Amino acid sequence: MSGSGGLEFLLESIQRGVRLGLRTTWTLVKISVPVYVVVSLLGATPALGWVARLFGPLMGIFGLPGEAAMVLVVGNAINLYAAIGAMKALDLTGYQVTTLALMLSFSHNLFVEGALCRKMGVSFWLMAAIRLGMASAAGLLMGTLGGA
Amino acid sequence: MDLALKIALGAMRSVKNLAVVVIPLMILMQLARDYRLMERLLGAFSPVSRALGMSKRASLPLLVGLAFGLAYGAGVIIQASEEEGLSLRDRFLVILFLVGCHAVVEDTLVFVAVGANGWLLITARILAASAITVLCARFLPRSAFRVKVDPHGDRCGG
Repeated sequence: MSGSGGLEFLLESIQRGVRLGLRTTWTLVKISVPVYVVVSLLGATPALGWVARLFGPLMGIFGLPGEAAMVLVVGNAINLYAAIGAMKALDLTGYQVTTLALMLSFSHNLFVEGALCRKMGVSFWLMAAIRLGMASAAGLLMGTLGGA
Repeated sequence: MDLALKIALGAMRSVKNLAVVVIPLMILMQLARDYRLMERLLGAFSPVSRALGMSKRASLPLLVGLAFGLAYGAGVIIQASEEEGLSLRDRFLVILFLVGCHAVVEDTLVFVAVGANGWLLITARILAASAITVLCARFLPRSAFRVKVDPHGDRCGG
């Protein structure tokens, strides 16, 4: 390890960053693309319509179509990259994309990120409830404003 | 056949979109880590932790979470909390703020890449997380922060 000056140190750091970036991209692609493919294929079957009808009333509160429920579920259970894969496979307006993004910003990847809560001595369930509450409030606000 | 082509094209576009956001971001994060940027910003950031109702010792875990997120930052957040000897109150408030608002660059950019309004996202997250943290810091009674004993005794273990 040379000191934290010098061109060599900078280049090594950038190199490590590029490697990390490539590795991370691959990790995220492995999540995002399969979800995109599965949801796209579901779109060609009646199953997407069933999901849409089942969750239509609930998602309507947020100004979203029923099938957007899948985006919220995979985003919270897996992570944002899975949610983005699902979003890309659906037909959504720009406003709906922002609503989903806002809801998911507050609440995503609950299990992996929740592990940190436990290690810090803070209740996992309390934090998950707070996050889902913030997401619902944000969605409600966006749905109300969008409908006006 | 049409569908297969559409899916293949969409998948390739996803890979490109992810790479364009993630690779530059990881380079910046690696630079921030190697040049100890968070540690250097610490002094300037301590008024923020005070304003949120935490002690200034909470600044490092807070900054790391904001910049790197909860999954990637977890190790450093736990380690910094241990080294700083953070009280349960500080831990609670740090986590409370961070669950609503973390990895602000990454989370915002990935949504901007799919067409969301990034400024709205980042502003809403910072405001909402700050509000809930300040309220809890101010109004939760001390007794809410009693130390819970973990039966396995690894409450703070890495």
